Amino acid sequence: MTGLRLSHALWAIFAIAVSFYLVAPLALVILFSFNSSALTSLPLTGLTFDWYRRLMALDYFWPALQNSLTVALAVGALSVIIGTLAALAVARMPGRRAERIIGALSLPMMMPALIIGIALLSTFVRLLTIRLGIMTVILGQLVVVQPFVIAIVYARLQTFDWAVVDSARDLGASPLAAFFTVTLPIVQPTIVGATLIALAISLDDFVITFFTIGSGNTLPTMVWGLVRTSLDPTINALATLLIAFSIGSTVIALWLSRYRG
Amino acid sequence: MFRSSSATPQSSLPLMPAVVVFAGLFVLPLVYFFVISFWSVRARIMRPAFSLANYAETLNEYGGVLSYTALTAGAVAVLTTIVAFAFAYAIRFRLGRFGNAFLLITLTTLFGGYLVKIYAWKSILGTEGVLNRALLGAGLINEPLGALLYSTQGVVITLTYFLLPFAVLPIYGSLRAVSDVTLEAARDVGAGPFKVLRDIVLPQCRGGLMTAFTLSFLISVGDYVTPRFVGGGAALMGTFIENQFSIGFNWPLGSAMAFTTVAVTLGIVLAVDRLLKMALRP
Repeated sequence: MTGLRLSHALWAIFAIAVSFYLVAPLALVILFSFNSSALTSLPLTGLTFDWYRRLMALDYFWPALQNSLTVALAVGALSVIIGTLAALAVARMPGRRAERIIGALSLPMMMPALIIGIALLSTFVRLLTIRLGIMTVILGQLVVVQPFVIAIVYARLQTFDWAVVDSARDLGASPLAAFFTVTLPIVQPTIVGATLIALAISLDDFVITFFTIGSGNTLPTMVWGLVRTSLDPTINALATLLIAFSIGSTVIALWLSRYRG
Repeated sequence: MFRSSSATPQSSLPLMPAVVVFAGLFVLPLVYFFVISFWSVRARIMRPAFSLANYAETLNEYGGVLSYTALTAGAVAVLTTIVAFAFAYAIRFRLGRFGNAFLLITLTTLFGGYLVKIYAWKSILGTEGVLNRALLGAGLINEPLGALLYSTQGVVITLTYFLLPFAVLPIYGSLRAVSDVTLEAARDVGAGPFKVLRDIVLPQCRGGLMTAFTLSFLISVGDYVTPRFVGGGAALMGTFIENQFSIGFNWPLGSAMAFTTVAVTLGIVLAVDRLLKMALRP
């Protein structure tokens, strides 16, 4: 029995060590954003909000925030509509065919973002001669965010009871009416969750944005610029905002899909 | 029942917007970008052509970088997959009701921010970073260790950190499908823990392992931010490809480099898949 105890303890220690590795660096970034020293090193010297004040005083912070939110809302709305429609269509197909379609549509998740970014850049600039800007960022992000929405909604629909939709249709509801009065209310928490995940991915995207934005900034491209030009904890304040946005929406999404979906 | 629940022509219509996005913003750009790899550049201007010169240059000039990239990304992918498997295995089989809490931590850090995570390691490993200051303060070293930051190790630690949550999820997903009844039956007939792992658990989660490995490998190969922040001289292929677009302005060469890298990567992934299939034959 002691052997078994020991192995339990070792597994627990291992899991705690891995969790520490996952959480500690992010915790440090947040901690240093409130630390009064200009150096990102321990021990902590005292609480301050100066780095946040300094961040908000930067004249290019507000346009970057606005760009990030505009792109995220557009990508979130578009990807959730397109992705949910696709998941609904695929969910009623025979299993093998459904999996093949989902597999193909998920390819952008596997391709390095660098290659998608430069391929989009050359297509926009050279083939289509579109001016780079917020619009091209939205289009670029859409193709990598869409597979996440499809996967999340499709997974929920695996346990969906289609008989209730069929009954509604048998009783005379049009396909649209059946969708809005039966399907949508049932899968709504999952769709909200998928939207939040889409927002998190969009707000966090750097590589595709970097190649498709032309001039201008989003919050992540601003981090890139700051890391190259300055090294004071203003970056930590900005990074903490990004963590709050992305982890905040992930946690809400998890909570929705776990307890309601 | 007036309508069958299987696919009708009408029911695949909602799929179209997603297909249009996929075709127009993924397939088309990649095809066009591939065509560019055969073009030539004269006086900094791209000209349509059909030449293999860019591929020849890629192999001649960047062959060494490509092998170094494959080795480093391979190390990251193997390390990430092994740690992710052990962690997912612990969550699924060893931690009982605490397993879910650890899964939640993984899911939460999944979207913790790509640049933010790399920056976090820069501030830990840097010459002015947390680790160096702590070692200095403890009197273990007299001057900052540059090797912590400007090295391959820095790249491996940071990429593994970033990729781990992405690798845990597919492996955990396939471990969830391993039935406890089968495991107990195997133990009842006298199979030891190693035999159970080797003959039942690993073969059944091969798909998850391959997804984790492939994802980690592909993302590492194409990453240019991590080497820039924590790699110092240790630049991977992604850095050289990105250079063709930011300072070199030789898009055709950049394209040939990108497609060569993807081809080599896919070759390695297929080989690993083969090996794993042979090694895990029940």
